[in-house]
Amino acid sequence: MSTHSDPGLQPERTVMAWGRTLLALVTVSTIYLRWLPAHGLPVLALISTAATAATCISATQNKRYRRGSQGVYAEQIRADVRGIFALSAAVLLLGAFSMIARLTF
Amino acid sequence: MRVSPLPQFASDSVPQPRDVTRGRLARKLLPGGTEPDPRFTLANERTFLAWIRTSLAFLAGGIAIEAFANEIFLGPIREGLSTLMLLLGMSISAGAAVRWLSVERSMRDKAPLPLPLIVPVLGLGGALAAATIVFLILQN
Repeated sequence: MSTHSDPGLQPERTVMAWGRTLLALVTVSTIYLRWLPAHGLPVLALISTAATAATCISATQNKRYRRGSQGVYAEQIRADVRGIFALSAAVLLLGAFSMIARLTF
Repeated sequence: MRVSPLPQFASDSVPQPRDVTRGRLARKLLPGGTEPDPRFTLANERTFLAWIRTSLAFLAGGIAIEAFANEIFLGPIREGLSTLMLLLGMSISAGAAVRWLSVERSMRDKAPLPLPLIVPVLGLGGALAAATIVFLILQN
């Protein structure tokens, strides 16, 4: 693994930002538990969507750091277009599912 | 009179050697321009993530408000607030992706960064939700 020379520690900070987002997703899936006793099994779909997104972030953290570190070192980085749009879509999905769930309760 | 067509820049459509290392999606959505400083790309990514966390906070608010006792929030108002917060959360999430793309393109083209339109939308929407809640609490 190449060491980068960025004193601003950008790769580290970016990985940590993804980590904070992971925690936010876990928090949201925990809040869905509030619906579980009243509305039963369909709520598991919501919980698992949020949990899956969190797991995907967790699984890609090492690769993210390596890419960021190498990118700073090489002074060129690939923008993570897929990751960004996947996360945005996941949150949109969570919102839409939540609204549908509320309407059918 | 025949007008000569605009000059086509090679980097617009033909994949340059450097482009080959970029994904197809990146080449399609972020065409042309030059590679920005990687630290700017990372900073853009972190800003996007900050907005996503804000969006998730609104989703959480929209879900959690359903659990509040009936004494403070009447049924239809609770539903309205919940819907408002969920919609706000979804708008911020979509807006964040659009903002990220817009900023990344501006950096590639060395153009001025776009206005952060999410800020007034979020400000107004959040103020509206907060004012409604305060009004309801004071009413009881």
